[in-house]
Amino acid sequence: MSETVSGFFLTQVINYGAPLFALTLFFGAIGLPVGASLVLIAVGAFSQQGYFEWGLMAVLGLLGAVIGDTLSFSMGHYGKDWVEKRFGSSPSWINARAYFDKRAWVAIFLTRFLVTALAIPTNLIAGGSGYKFRRFMLYDTLGEATWVLLYGGLGYAFGTQWEVVYEFIGNFGRFLLGAVIVGAGIWLARSQLGKPRQVEQST
Amino acid sequence: MTKQRLLTAGLILIGILVIVFFGINTIHALKRLRGHGPFNGKPPVANQTDVELVRDWMTIPYIADTYDVPPEALFFSLGIPFEKQNGRKSLKQLNDEYFPDQPDIVLLQVKDAIKAFQTQAPPPPSLPPAPTKIP
Repeated sequence: MSETVSGFFLTQVINYGAPLFALTLFFGAIGLPVGASLVLIAVGAFSQQGYFEWGLMAVLGLLGAVIGDTLSFSMGHYGKDWVEKRFGSSPSWINARAYFDKRAWVAIFLTRFLVTALAIPTNLIAGGSGYKFRRFMLYDTLGEATWVLLYGGLGYAFGTQWEVVYEFIGNFGRFLLGAVIVGAGIWLARSQLGKPRQVEQST
Repeated sequence: MTKQRLLTAGLILIGILVIVFFGINTIHALKRLRGHGPFNGKPPVANQTDVELVRDWMTIPYIADTYDVPPEALFFSLGIPFEKQNGRKSLKQLNDEYFPDQPDIVLLQVKDAIKAFQTQAPPPPSLPPAPTKIP
């Protein structure tokens, strides 16, 4: 299914060029499974073949991705009241928010190109936790620029062998996602183990 | 063990499984990656010659340009009219439209046509002409 969708977008990018490429990255940034990373690497390869002007593709692609991120940040922002009503008094939510606020820039920056599966949840949390939009934009733009240049650059360097690059990046990204899941599990375990001690200390 | 602790243990276990599975895949992908592109010091090629890299999302004009083959020759070998509209369709779309009973036939035929062109041999006999266009 996902391959069919990304295949459709690859065909359209070949036909319509930069505007369709920007639209694809926009769709990816709002969470639609269009295979944005795959299309980005492919466009790097197409640019190397002389199909596209890489500078224009990079600028328009970056624009599409940043606009998409802004939209998903806004979704979190406008859903803030609902989240606050539902989870606002929960200590876990308060802790998670405090934790996110401390390390938000790392999360925003790295999820743009390293653990891309977490980019949408990060945008929603950032918007929902009241994180400053200007700061979000700064780290988001830096992260997306790294994504566009790194993935597009790899596609450019490897040319027609770009599928091998995508295979590596796709697997490596999921490997890192696993590491994040383990990290979250360890963090939860530590906070659970800490609870009885705190109770003992307070009594 | 409380429900919360079970959930945490489950999370760590899933994470470890994901790490192991995709870690192995990453190593295999890295090995394949080393055999291509910048890692073996070869400059990127201008025109592709390996027909196994033709995919069903590609369009005829794109393939023609990449493999340096005239697009009309590819359309001719398929028995499909060389029209602007068909030039925007992927091989899969052309297959679904003109040869719905023969899956992947367009992809295979295009590969054969490129090979034939590359060896300077006459293009292989074309497929039986598509009688009707299925909407």
